[in-house]
Amino acid sequence: MRVIQYCILIILSLTITSCEKFLDVNTNPNSPTTAPINGLLLRTTNQTGLNVFRVGDLTSYYVQYLASPNAASPTDTYDQVDASGTWSSLYDTMTDIYDLEKQGIEAGATQYQGVAKILMAINLSLIHNLWGAAPYSNAFSGQSLTPAYDEATTNFNQIMTLIDEGIGLLQQSGSAISIPTGATSPDLIHKGVTANWIKTANALKARMLVQLSKTSQFNATAIFTALDAAYTSIADDAFISTFDVRNPWNGVAVANAGQILQGWLSEYYVDAMDGTSFGIMDPRLPLIATLTQFGDYRGTPNGKGRIGTGIDDEESYLSTTGFYSSQTSPLYIITYEEMKFIEAEVAFRTDDKIRAYNAFQEGIRANMNKMGIDAASRDAYLNHASVAVGPAGLTLELIFREKWKALFLQPVVWDDARRFNYGYEGFQLPLNAVQSTFIRRLVYPEIETSRNGANVPTVNSVVENLWWDQ
Amino acid sequence: MKKCMYAWMLFLLSMPMIVFSQARQITGTVRDANGIPLASVSVVEKGTNTGTVTDANGAFSINVSRANATLVFSYVGMESQELVLGTNNNYDVSLSATGELSEVVVTALGIRKEKRELGYSAQEISGEALIQSKQTNIVNALRGQVAGVQINSGGGAPGQGSRIIIRGVKSLSPGKNNQPLFVIDGIIMDNSTITGGDAQASLRGMSNRAADINPDDVESISVLRGGAATALYGQAGSNGVVLITTKSAKAGKMRVSFTSTYGIDEVNKFPDVQSVYTQGYRGVYDPATIFTNWGPTVEEAKAIDPTHPDKLFHNYERGYIQGNQFRNSLTLSGGTENALLTSSFSHFKQNGVIPNSDYQNTSVRVGGQFKSGTLFKFSPSLNFINSGGYRVNSERYNEILSYWSPRWDVMDYIKEDGTMKGYRDNAVYGTYVNKFKDNVNRLIGSVAATFSPFSWFDLDYRAGIDYYSDFRRHAAPGPRGLAGERNFGDNGLGFVNEFRISNRILTSNVMGSFKKDWGEKFNTVLRLGNDVRAIKFSRLTSRGSELDIPTLLTINNSKVRSTDQHEEDYRIVSAYGDLSLGLNNYLFLNVTGRNDWSSSLAKENNSFFYPSVSLSYIFTDHFLKPDWLSFGKLRASWAEVGKDTDPYETNAYYISNVLTSSNQVTWTRGNSRGDQSLKPERTNTIELGTELRAMNNRIGLDFTWYKLNSRDQIIPVFISPTSGYTSVITNAGEVENKGIEIVLNGSPIKKQDFSWDVTLNFSRNRNKVISIVEGLKEIVVGNWFGYVGSTATMKYIPGYPVGNIYGTSVQRYYGSKADDGMTVDNSLPLVIASTGSNRGFPVRDLTQRILGNSQPDWTGGISNNFTYKNLRLSFLFETQQGQDRYNQLGNYQAAFGTAPFTIDRNDTKVFDGVLPDGTTNTQEVWMGQGVGPDGRDYTDGYYRNVYRGITENFVEDASWVRLRNLSLSYQLPSKFLRTNVIKDASITFTGNNLLLWTDFSGFDPDASSFNSGSNVDAFTGFAYPAVRSYLFSINLNF
Repeated sequence: MRVIQYCILIILSLTITSCEKFLDVNTNPNSPTTAPINGLLLRTTNQTGLNVFRVGDLTSYYVQYLASPNAASPTDTYDQVDASGTWSSLYDTMTDIYDLEKQGIEAGATQYQGVAKILMAINLSLIHNLWGAAPYSNAFSGQSLTPAYDEATTNFNQIMTLIDEGIGLLQQSGSAISIPTGATSPDLIHKGVTANWIKTANALKARMLVQLSKTSQFNATAIFTALDAAYTSIADDAFISTFDVRNPWNGVAVANAGQILQGWLSEYYVDAMDGTSFGIMDPRLPLIATLTQFGDYRGTPNGKGRIGTGIDDEESYLSTTGFYSSQTSPLYIITYEEMKFIEAEVAFRTDDKIRAYNAFQEGIRANMNKMGIDAASRDAYLNHASVAVGPAGLTLELIFREKWKALFLQPVVWDDARRFNYGYEGFQLPLNAVQSTFIRRLVYPEIETSRNGANVPTVNSVVENLWWDQ
Repeated sequence: MKKCMYAWMLFLLSMPMIVFSQARQITGTVRDANGIPLASVSVVEKGTNTGTVTDANGAFSINVSRANATLVFSYVGMESQELVLGTNNNYDVSLSATGELSEVVVTALGIRKEKRELGYSAQEISGEALIQSKQTNIVNALRGQVAGVQINSGGGAPGQGSRIIIRGVKSLSPGKNNQPLFVIDGIIMDNSTITGGDAQASLRGMSNRAADINPDDVESISVLRGGAATALYGQAGSNGVVLITTKSAKAGKMRVSFTSTYGIDEVNKFPDVQSVYTQGYRGVYDPATIFTNWGPTVEEAKAIDPTHPDKLFHNYERGYIQGNQFRNSLTLSGGTENALLTSSFSHFKQNGVIPNSDYQNTSVRVGGQFKSGTLFKFSPSLNFINSGGYRVNSERYNEILSYWSPRWDVMDYIKEDGTMKGYRDNAVYGTYVNKFKDNVNRLIGSVAATFSPFSWFDLDYRAGIDYYSDFRRHAAPGPRGLAGERNFGDNGLGFVNEFRISNRILTSNVMGSFKKDWGEKFNTVLRLGNDVRAIKFSRLTSRGSELDIPTLLTINNSKVRSTDQHEEDYRIVSAYGDLSLGLNNYLFLNVTGRNDWSSSLAKENNSFFYPSVSLSYIFTDHFLKPDWLSFGKLRASWAEVGKDTDPYETNAYYISNVLTSSNQVTWTRGNSRGDQSLKPERTNTIELGTELRAMNNRIGLDFTWYKLNSRDQIIPVFISPTSGYTSVITNAGEVENKGIEIVLNGSPIKKQDFSWDVTLNFSRNRNKVISIVEGLKEIVVGNWFGYVGSTATMKYIPGYPVGNIYGTSVQRYYGSKADDGMTVDNSLPLVIASTGSNRGFPVRDLTQRILGNSQPDWTGGISNNFTYKNLRLSFLFETQQGQDRYNQLGNYQAAFGTAPFTIDRNDTKVFDGVLPDGTTNTQEVWMGQGVGPDGRDYTDGYYRNVYRGITENFVEDASWVRLRNLSLSYQLPSKFLRTNVIKDASITFTGNNLLLWTDFSGFDPDASSFNSGSNVDAFTGFAYPAVRSYLFSINLNF
């Protein structure tokens, strides 16, 4: 009967009321056409943190923190991997940052604009460091269906401009809307504290400038200036600790515990940490890795894959309760230690060995303090002969090695590795490598070659050097 | 003696009538070609309103008024016959099946028209022909029977959806429906394959919703192909219309019909594998490695590992079992001329060839027809269906089978404690614990009423509802924490996903028909109507993962939970008119017009009008016809059909997510950008055709040529995520389809006891993308994974046909010849590398080139029907020729060393081809892995380093010819029944998919990796394999 009633209703609605009203049902009940500005800020700060993870989940194999449980896995062996997912996530985030800035401009909210610019700089730098040339000036608006690629150097300059503009905006007063502060702030990185955003902007600037160490543009003074305005303690770090459910590295560790094998530590890493290579057990290792069934730490050689079944603790994995991989572990974007190691490197390159050595030691100390290593273990490590080399004994290799240890899982380490030509002591090509030299870049992802093919620059191989790595 | 008396009395009584009004009573029996009495045959005295129907025994009795009266016998599915009365008063009449002169076909909106009047092609398939094949899915039952219709079953899974395309793909939009409208007894029914809300659903062979229909309920199916045929349905019919007419009751005694069918199913074709080399890597035996077949020979492995079996398993044959199916259906009908009732019940259960896959369908239908004289007619109908089952993700099943070394028995999958056995993920165990089930409850109801106050006017009203709820559940337990337990990877830490889908289509159609005969020569019919349709779709998805109690499958037991909701409303209102003009019963003109107002377009663009004109000319009735030609007709039509878009595509939206740990809502720009200014798509159709019959209708030809141009396509174009969206919806592009359809039928033998009928159909469709969105070079429709860059992609590129498959190829040596960068020139030699780690091997060309096309060059079918006394034999050959498919299984087989051709791994050879400088290649290379006999390190070897990365190697000719169906039935002679309870009985043996001829190397290439609702049809390999079925059925009529 309801059918008949409904049909009568339909007929009535046509004849008595207007047909127009009957047809007016095309307003999407599921989604709005504009978004709240704080919802965009939440999304972009959250995703920026996750993007660091997504990129780090790839680069960690190249710098041999991690190794695949599968023999000759494409990532381990420098085979071409399709990073469409990571690429899409980065651009999805930058698109939301673009909208965030637009809304900030419309509302006269300079704080939001400033944060948007710095977030954009962080994400664009991840793109720049993996691929070089990429769409930016023509991207995000939907106006162009096949955005043109900006040159890598153009993108580099755009990152620097974004940083400067972001700092400028954040230094202005009178933002029409202020970013809410406190525990429930939609700013998951700095909880609405603009002073910290300015420090992060400078920290990113220092990171980008030191990346030019192989080029003629390397400018130590500019880096020191940026470092002075960057972090002064581990309390200033840029990180997120609010997740949907858990820190994504914890997701990796939990999945591995559930036999979806991943998050295996590389043999090179374990050997460097447990004293095999350098004669001292690094006190940070127990806070990172699981013990094997043999009661020790064992890594897996990159490219080799598992030896046994892979599920009976014959090797070490990321721990589900580890410092970087517990459910609530902070996910670091840029840290104070990194600044110290940049300072050490630049001072070393400018022959200020004392400043270099002090910064080098402070970098290690800060990282250990952050991880909660007790003072005795920390100082024992700092005083070990392989570390306490004194200003005269300091080498670039030592600075890079300790930076590599302190910035565990961070994508920037791959930038270092390339600048340093993988000069870490004992660092070798993976087993079953499909290339005869170290990996230098990523090829463009399938989603770009198939959808924007005409604009995608030709890349023949993952061993081609990016412009700053020549 | 008594009979004689009655006859005499009858004669005496009728005497005065003969004298005074020349009336007399004519009696007789109507039978079909097999001599079986036909009930409910309409018997009308021509030119009068006098009429009757035959009773259950085929007997009739009618009083005729004129001296040399003519009786017209007509019956659906049978050739109508005219009988000029002589002096006899008793006649035996035999009617033969359709395909003859005065065939009545169901056309748009259920209007029955004589086929001769139609200015477009229409083909009707009788229920009998459909039932013969015993197909479980009504769409599959049409296979090979109708010209211009291409049907591909997604695969052989129980209840799996099938895809039907009429006259080629018209919408370039990758996600848009290109399948015809399904109408059952005048009510639009949903035939979608719902996969939304979960990526799994698109891989689990979900049913197309027409599969819910019980094939035993179907009286006939009419397929309307051209624009003019479907113009009255408006935009919904722009892809053609499939009209299903269900069986209705006939007056007289109650009839009971019972049919029971049991069948077994088995995979009809397996891929070949090599059985020499076992598990290992670079020739070294390793019983735990992922490399299933890159180890030493079986003999060498046995020397190392005494537990190694003597023979490798054939994983694909081992991983499939015998399936079975069982259907029972019961129909009861009866009533009087003024009140008829029919009801049917059916139950179907099928167990699939992949373990733990099944499907069941229970259907109950009630229908009636009530009359109040000729003034008023009322027909209600209600069909309730419950269907669904455990659906297996065949893509994943075959993929995991491919990772499983044939050194191990895949069927040895479970330990005593119920956990997985084996050295890695076991596919069979996966189907046992990782389960997806759907449960559909569906109600299709309608009321139709006809009011005929005047002889020149009828008013028809029809209202209907098609409502279903689809409850889906995908769940898997988590690891139980037992010692030595191995968790099935896809289960993660356990999860439960629930999907609640509902869809409701309401239709209302009112139509007035005005008929007028303007003297002897000229007649007109004008129809005016209004059509309203409202669709409401709703989906609620709830997911829970990380189960606390590993085996308790409820969301209440999950640590991480999320829910999302999707609601959709769509409405369309239409007004239409249809004017038919007939001249001298040999020239017919039909003009239609329809205006749609759609809710899915912005107000300025939501009204669209489109007309159609069609002309039918029976020249054999106009001119003196030659003796050999019994019937000749020419027809021509032109039509335009508009098509709107899906709801909510006129805008861009923001999507929310919640951060569970802090309960904060995040917002992100949605992936799709809509457009306020979207306007309707337009398809123009021109169709020309002829129907010829010769030699007393013993041979017939139906020829059709058509051309369709679909303009202003509404396309969601997949674009680079750097643009800020991943797809944009816009009006652009044109696609052209043109083709021919030929139906030839003949009755080479037509004798009392023996007859042979043959029908042949042939269709060819050519399509071409004329243009796409400005500024865009190509539209990616879909892609399918292949190792190291060998992913195959389906793209639309202007100037090229729909269905092109693109990918990497072997480099050809062009020398001074120009390379168009698009095609592969097979006449040129291959380029062999002279330097680098792959020297001596063919060079991979990374340019995306055309490697094949997924659309057939032509399709055809030949059906044969033999009857000899009570025996009936029919068989149907079907073919699709010239289409290609990307074989993903082949790609995996090459990568893992299971492919038969990888057996040459210990050979040294010289590849035919030239070096990059053009000189002939003479470099000897070893085909294996590791260090070769020449001392060179071949690392992973040719097949992994080169071969698997070349898409061209896996795009194969997927043409096939198959014996689609063979059916032998025997009608038990009544003398054997020895009872009055059973009126007739027959037994039938049916074989489906019995023989297959194809060069394709994988499973039957008919199956597709994409669901039946998808336009992506170029990829197969891991799809649910097609099955061969043997069915035995018994039919009893009481």
